[in-house]
Amino acid sequence: MKQIRSSILFWVLVVLLPLNIYIIFDYAPVEKTMGIVQKVFYFHVASAWIGLLAFVVVFVSSIWYLWRRHHRINNVALASAEIGTIFISCTLLTGPLWAYPIWNTWWTWDPRLTTTLVLWFMYVAYIALQGGGATESRKRLAAVYGIIAFVNVPLVFFSARWWRSIHPIVVSEEGIGLAPKMRIAMFVSLATFSLLYAYLLHLRVKTLELQERIKMLRAEAGR
Amino acid sequence: MPNYWRKVFLVYHKDIRDEFRTFDNLLATLIFGAMLVFIFSFAFQLVELQSQQAFPAVLWVSVFFSSMLAIQRSFAKEKDNGSLDALLLATGDRGIIFLAKFLGNFTVLVVFELVVVPLLWMFIGVNTVGSFDIALFIASLVLGSWGLAAIGTMLNGITIQVPSARLLFPILMFPLLIPLLIGVILCSHAALVGDRASVLGWLYALLAFDLLFTLVPLVLFDYVLEG
Repeated sequence: MKQIRSSILFWVLVVLLPLNIYIIFDYAPVEKTMGIVQKVFYFHVASAWIGLLAFVVVFVSSIWYLWRRHHRINNVALASAEIGTIFISCTLLTGPLWAYPIWNTWWTWDPRLTTTLVLWFMYVAYIALQGGGATESRKRLAAVYGIIAFVNVPLVFFSARWWRSIHPIVVSEEGIGLAPKMRIAMFVSLATFSLLYAYLLHLRVKTLELQERIKMLRAEAGR
Repeated sequence: MPNYWRKVFLVYHKDIRDEFRTFDNLLATLIFGAMLVFIFSFAFQLVELQSQQAFPAVLWVSVFFSSMLAIQRSFAKEKDNGSLDALLLATGDRGIIFLAKFLGNFTVLVVFELVVVPLLWMFIGVNTVGSFDIALFIASLVLGSWGLAAIGTMLNGITIQVPSARLLFPILMFPLLIPLLIGVILCSHAALVGDRASVLGWLYALLAFDLLFTLVPLVLFDYVLEG
């Protein structure tokens, strides 16, 4: 059953990923003032969303791990942190590509930029703490760090915002400041990236489990 | 409850006595801090940068870096001497150990700042035109050291458990300190120019941050020092 579900997800993604590219580059109109550069927005926002989602998953599974101590949950947390790092890296790389022609600078200390960068550092630190050979104590301590780091995210955001802000706010309380076709492109992007995240998470958790199994079998064979 | 605080005090007292008796750790931290302060102010002079503007930044970067040395040993020495289990048995509550270690680290940081701040003040040649707000400056030092000691103590408890993870201590600590860094630098800058009104909100924010990162570890410390 699980096998079928993951292969369905795979084939959905095989269709959705090219479709997403088509919608971004052909269906959605080219922005009037920014031009073609604006297309990076659909990747940028979707990766940032996955980065945050992945971090929430790390937080929830860290609490769950401390509570129940299932190794499987820790694997979910680790896999999610790894995938989150990759997507946050995409956000951090696509941002300057857009910012240089539009803001005329590669980087600025806006709350969102600052928070994203700090988030990236914490993800990397978290992965380093888990280490390669995850022992029980490493898993437990990483879970503690996963919780504290999550608490820190809003603190970084608000303290940086209090200090200054120039990032464009696309989604606000008044609605979404996007043309209808662009809005569709953004939602398709968000959906595609979310499914991609789910699929990658599934694959990575499976890999981690297999690694643990190999280790166990090796230990048994060596005995 | 009085018993609880008595235990906290006893562990704290032991640590402080050890710290000032052996002196080598404190001395290394002080020398490192003095060196950082010297290198920073020297580097700014070389390119004739207005170093007075940089005073709060240099001060806090030096304190943050030196705090790594100051805090790194607070749990490491228990682990190395094999006395961590004894400490756990003696107190029976991990919260007590956290509070005592936190207070110890806070004290060391305050002693450190008492030496380094005047030194940096001299090197950079800060001249405040009568508007220096000393109460605000001291408040920023106290709130900054508090947050630093709380987060540092917590993470030191984490990193000593994994032998290969001791080097991770600064990597784990610095991202968590970013909100604190913004707050204390703005506050000590405001103290220099005597503009207290503009940072009153920051003082409360720092206090809230410090309280949060003292209370969260108290809850989570049971999981850190397990087994």
